[in-house]
Amino acid sequence: MGSQKRIAKELSELVESPPDGITVELADEANLYKWKVFMEGPEGSPYQDGKFLVNLTLPTEYPFKPPTVSFGTKIYHPNVTNDDKGSMCLGMLRADEWKPSSKIAAVLQFARQLLLEPMPDDAIEGRIAEQYKNDRKRYDEIAREWTRKWAVSE
Amino acid sequence: MADNGDRVFCHACGGVWLLDTREDGSDNSQKCPHCESDFTEIIEIPPESPEPEREAEPQSPPVNPWADHNPWAQEGSIPPRTSGWMESGSPGYSHRSYQSPDGRFTFSSTTIGSSYPSRHDAQPNPVLPLMMQSLGTLFQGLSGTYDNHQTQRGPGMGMPPHAHAAGMRGSDVMHDPFQAQEERARRHDGHYPHDPNGPQQITAPLQSLADLLDALQANGGTQRNTAGRGAQGMALQNPFALLSALMNMGHNGDAVYSQEELDRVISQLIDHTQQDTAPPPASDSDIDSLPKKKMTREMMGSDGKAECSICMDSVELGTEVTVLPCTHWFHFDCIKAWLSQHNTCPHCRRSINATGVTSPGEGTSENPVVIPDSPDSSPQRRRRRSSPFTSQSIRSARSSRSRSSRTSPTPEMGEPGTRRGSGGESSRGGITGWVWSRFGGSSS
Repeated sequence: MGSQKRIAKELSELVESPPDGITVELADEANLYKWKVFMEGPEGSPYQDGKFLVNLTLPTEYPFKPPTVSFGTKIYHPNVTNDDKGSMCLGMLRADEWKPSSKIAAVLQFARQLLLEPMPDDAIEGRIAEQYKNDRKRYDEIAREWTRKWAVSE
Repeated sequence: MADNGDRVFCHACGGVWLLDTREDGSDNSQKCPHCESDFTEIIEIPPESPEPEREAEPQSPPVNPWADHNPWAQEGSIPPRTSGWMESGSPGYSHRSYQSPDGRFTFSSTTIGSSYPSRHDAQPNPVLPLMMQSLGTLFQGLSGTYDNHQTQRGPGMGMPPHAHAAGMRGSDVMHDPFQAQEERARRHDGHYPHDPNGPQQITAPLQSLADLLDALQANGGTQRNTAGRGAQGMALQNPFALLSALMNMGHNGDAVYSQEELDRVISQLIDHTQQDTAPPPASDSDIDSLPKKKMTREMMGSDGKAECSICMDSVELGTEVTVLPCTHWFHFDCIKAWLSQHNTCPHCRRSINATGVTSPGEGTSENPVVIPDSPDSSPQRRRRRSSPFTSQSIRSARSSRSRSSRTSPTPEMGEPGTRRGSGGESSRGGITGWVWSRFGGSSS
């Protein structure tokens, strides 16, 4: 299958030369379509020092359909649903925005960039977005606290 | 103080009287003089208004029959009309339930007050029976049509609605076959009782709704709720299904009773939306008529390598590729798979049908879009030229360059501080534009 070939290629590229702060592995060696991504909180963000598990699921129609990205680690962020799903709202992953020429590496880098620069105007958690815009200090505090609580393993 | 317009409305008996100000501050001042209930409320009526007794009644019905209705709460038992009286002074509890004339629909309401007078029995608030009358007529109409398709039906169709409202007989009414026949005959004779306030009997549209309901039930009962309800439960549901079909214009199973159902409806809606906004598929003939050409050295990158950005396989010199009007090229099989879903270039999103048309804001060779903060990747960019465009090769090279720089990627993710926001991206704002500028062209 063509898509498997491309996925395998992208995976090996990501494993060989991982982008900054991102490591990638298969959740199950036998299944190319489910990835486990570990994402370090970017420096300068309240997520710094945290290590976040991100689940990446590829549809069988990949690359013609977008992958889905969700946080397996609880995170306080305007663009990540504050529930057990942890879905991340990425414009580029919407069906009408997706382009097959986008690579998974780009998706992951974008997701990590979003930790550094949340997009409150494109938020999925409106309350956190409001706080991010109006009370950044408190937002930083809570995000840091959550990172300590959920994303730092001592 | 009679002119200040303050009156007190008793939720228990519906009575209204002037606010007694002589005992200012005392608890008794708001106690109903008729029934001694203190479930009362101060209301404001303009002093010139006529007899307050009439004025206040529709203003706040003591019980909202729509609230807290739970049609299944009374399953298997005859719904009592009222129950739970408590002695005056201790917290009281009133339960009202209503069963439609055919027995399929029940609702109940519970009111908590502090005490209820016996007078309440003798003179219920007139609003409630009135609403029930309308409801009864509505459901008679609904189920009457429904019965044309389902021969089983509950009797009691033709009873004067107020009899039900006042009598509230339970399921013993439902299973009286003699009455059922009589009622059917009556209904078909046209002696159909109706409330002038309620809807008239409609047949044609409702018949189609009943058809719809049949179809719904036939295809697996999308809204079947099996939580321990027997035949009565199913029967009770039908008017709801009809009603919801009526309100939702027959959208397949939009009556939701559970979280899963709600999720399903929402994802359905999302799917619809996405299908609507995504570009439409290209026709097969459009796809087949796209020009093909063999890879030339010029199309390769400066390192002599190139890959199809869909399958990411490297493409060798001389391999035949399909070229889109925007000069981006792909394997034919790869681009066909994409174009049969969306008729735009998977790389730059230009429509494959708008040949040679430059979309506004895209920049032209005379006036190229200059992006100050985009990385200068043009030396590494492979130039895309193709034979159909050789006559304007310079132009196409230039515009493709300006486009590449607009959409060019930063493979190593530029400095974290780099923000979006470059003049040329006016056509793509927000997150999309940002993504676009950042990762849009990450195919090389």
